[in-house]
Amino acid sequence: MKHPSQPTLALYAGKDLGWFAARRAERHVARCGECRQAVEAFTALHDDLVGFVEVPALSWSRLAAEMRANIRLGLAAGECVRGELSAAPLTWISGMRAAMACAGMVVLVAAGLLLDRSTPPAPPLAADESMVLRATASGIELNQGGQSMSLLHVRASQRPGGQLDVTYSAGAQGSMRARYVDLDTGNVTINNVYVQ
Amino acid sequence: MCNKLAILFAAGVIALCAQDVPLDPYNSIKINLPADSPLTLISANLGESHASARGSAVVLDLNMALTLRNSSQSRVRGVTLLVAAQEVTPGGKASVTVPSLDVAPGQNFPVRIDLRLLRPGQVGGGPLVQVNLDGVLFQDLSFYGPNRLDSRRSMTAWEMEAQRDRKYFKAILATHGPEGLKQAMLESIARQSERPSLDVQVSRGGRAVTSAAVPEHRAQFAFLRFPDAPVEPVDGWAEIAGNEARNPRIDVRNRSSEQVLHVEIGWIVTDRQGTQYMAASLPNAEPKLYLPPGSSGRVLQDTSLRFSKNRGEPVPIAGMTGFVSQVEFADGKIWIPNREALAGAQLLGILAASPEEERLTDLYRKKGPKALVDELSKF
Repeated sequence: MKHPSQPTLALYAGKDLGWFAARRAERHVARCGECRQAVEAFTALHDDLVGFVEVPALSWSRLAAEMRANIRLGLAAGECVRGELSAAPLTWISGMRAAMACAGMVVLVAAGLLLDRSTPPAPPLAADESMVLRATASGIELNQGGQSMSLLHVRASQRPGGQLDVTYSAGAQGSMRARYVDLDTGNVTINNVYVQ
Repeated sequence: MCNKLAILFAAGVIALCAQDVPLDPYNSIKINLPADSPLTLISANLGESHASARGSAVVLDLNMALTLRNSSQSRVRGVTLLVAAQEVTPGGKASVTVPSLDVAPGQNFPVRIDLRLLRPGQVGGGPLVQVNLDGVLFQDLSFYGPNRLDSRRSMTAWEMEAQRDRKYFKAILATHGPEGLKQAMLESIARQSERPSLDVQVSRGGRAVTSAAVPEHRAQFAFLRFPDAPVEPVDGWAEIAGNEARNPRIDVRNRSSEQVLHVEIGWIVTDRQGTQYMAASLPNAEPKLYLPPGSSGRVLQDTSLRFSKNRGEPVPIAGMTGFVSQVEFADGKIWIPNREALAGAQLLGILAASPEEERLTDLYRKKGPKALVDELSKF
């Protein structure tokens, strides 16, 4: 069996392959355990990288407000100084400095307003927004906005095929249940995860 | 030279990201048992718990082996512990239940909780996970606990299923001897392994984005009716789009002489090949239904369920069947279908075995027929 190259698997994991190439890779991955593991590894790496490139949340409104306040403070301070020095004759150099300072302030204000407009603050996360319950190979996972909680069934016995002997059931009210017999104790254990 | 420096820098970043984050699991977990609890915490072994960094996120693996003691005067039949990680998933909670127990007064028993949390940033100082007692069920079906998860009803139903199934296997042993019991065990093991199963993804509210392009239509439920069921389904439907079903609604009528507080409907879906799967249970939306004798009510949920199998292959829904799987009366008594009704409706091969039947077949597989006969003779 000819395996796809590592770059192809990486692009497939990141959903960056073209349609035909993606279908070809999908067919191969479905029947090749080695490549499936490679794709899972790339997917996990991709998820990790998302965390790396995340820009910390900034309050642009607050930033702009601070910039405006600093500019006003600067202008007020300039007025005070000009009042004290009004008797002294102004040289062409001081006029140039004032013009440059004003121009700089105008640029700062414009940049602040622009940033404030182009990046609206993110809406608050509702209690049940994007909450998804699903069964994974090792447990039941509740995912909410990139954070997750999983109840694992690591003590479940294995079926002859190697799969964990776990019975899943869903509750339409927003719950999922995994039931298994504990390897050590022989007791039935029922893990249940709920979306409130 | 620059390339070498870049490689060294990248390796350093990766090494920094892969290292374990210092974590004191004892300060990360808080186990709360009320002062008057019939259970006492003897030990909490968190030996394998650890935290590690994954990119900018922290993965916290908590492997708790709790040892509890029955401090009451009655035999304990079941325990439910509520597990909450409000800082990580504020809208979610979890529970671990151990049903089918037979713990004598003064006896210790283990409960394992294996939890994984994934959250961005560093681990904070306070406890991330709180473990609380939600309920304890005793041999006489009396109950202790705050019952926030309605664990009284769940554990009582499981205990009634356990009594039903033990009675069934004891009757086989009495009439057909150990060989008949062995045959019944083999049939149960075969049913459990051949039962078709679905992967179900549950989300609250509207449709999932992935199937938004598939046209949605309203599909009617067909119903299986048990002669002795105190509540009967009358009419029902759900919105269907491909492999996704949402907003199920089922009208039910109380035909008993007692007030009904809770009704649970078993929900079976059929695929295009005619294979039937147990998809979900459908309880009433409100905590209590309050359905007087002779009156009708509606069981409904605003939930979306997506069905797949074989790691993501969608299972388009061709039909839906419902049946009453559980009824709770105002006096706390629970009705469940008997084995004859389940067998008559061809449901034994579709529904999961009860926790007790699973425990008994596991005992038979691991320790043989004598251990099973000894176990049945305890009850």
